[in-house]
Amino acid sequence: MTISKKYLTYLLILTVVFSGVSFLTVSAQDKSITDKQTEQIRSNCVSMKNTLNQLHASDALLRVNRGQIYESILTKLIDRFNSRLSNNNINNDELKSITVKYSSMLDTFRADYKTYEEQLSSTLNISCSDKPADFYSAIVSARTKRNQVHTDVTKLNQFLDQYQSVFNQFKKEYKTASEGMKN
Amino acid sequence: MFKFMTIKPSKKDSFISKHLFLLMIILAIIITSLFVVVSMLIYNSNGAAQVDLSRPGYVSVRAQSVTNSSNFKDYSASGEINQETIEEFQQLFADQLNKAKAIDAFGGDPLSPASLGISVSTEQP
Repeated sequence: MTISKKYLTYLLILTVVFSGVSFLTVSAQDKSITDKQTEQIRSNCVSMKNTLNQLHASDALLRVNRGQIYESILTKLIDRFNSRLSNNNINNDELKSITVKYSSMLDTFRADYKTYEEQLSSTLNISCSDKPADFYSAIVSARTKRNQVHTDVTKLNQFLDQYQSVFNQFKKEYKTASEGMKN
Repeated sequence: MFKFMTIKPSKKDSFISKHLFLLMIILAIIITSLFVVVSMLIYNSNGAAQVDLSRPGYVSVRAQSVTNSSNFKDYSASGEINQETIEEFQQLFADQLNKAKAIDAFGGDPLSPASLGISVSTEQP
């Protein structure tokens, strides 16, 4: 009898805890989207899906074309110039250091775009008329991931600017040194 | 002189020998399916799916992808370094840098609530 009372007490506590957690979760979901937003998502469902589909396609094109440019700059220009400097026994540690950072950022860009595309694809699979809250939450997540991709692109451009700056310095020093040797 | 023994095939052997062709086809289908599953896993996990514009959703933009890389002149990794080769690299690099920075890729905020026609307020009315 004592044991059963003990079990009943545990069961009661567990029930209360789980109910509380469930209540909090539901409340949090309810707070994430207003009734007005729910109504707007339901009424604009078709047009929003069309917009997202267009964005999905245009971002894929952007990824392919930008990716090609960034990849080609690394493999067809930067890597080759670095090799050429090394072959001529010219110190290019600073250029190499920027190249490593750029290459690493290119990998990050690829990975972040993949994450973003997967999120956008899963958003497109959510029914906006049946699950407006889930749909809204997925859009918010996709937006964050897209912003991350934009940050990656900005950083890639910054590394290219850095490379150009160090290269210009090298060019200047090389010119001075070669003129000094002539005189 | 010689004793010949006739070995009766077991029920199992006879089933295999009877349906050998069918079993081979089933085995071939299983192996093929396995390879397809592995290929699809690799295709989806390594990011190839994201840049594959032959997918049905990308029909509208497929023609706009840059497939011709002939306008990208390679810089030779061998040879001496002199003023001329340095200037050649400078020119090639500047051209590509301008292309890379020509547009603000993934800029803007097309996924913002305002862009999608959703009100921004999160307070219940």
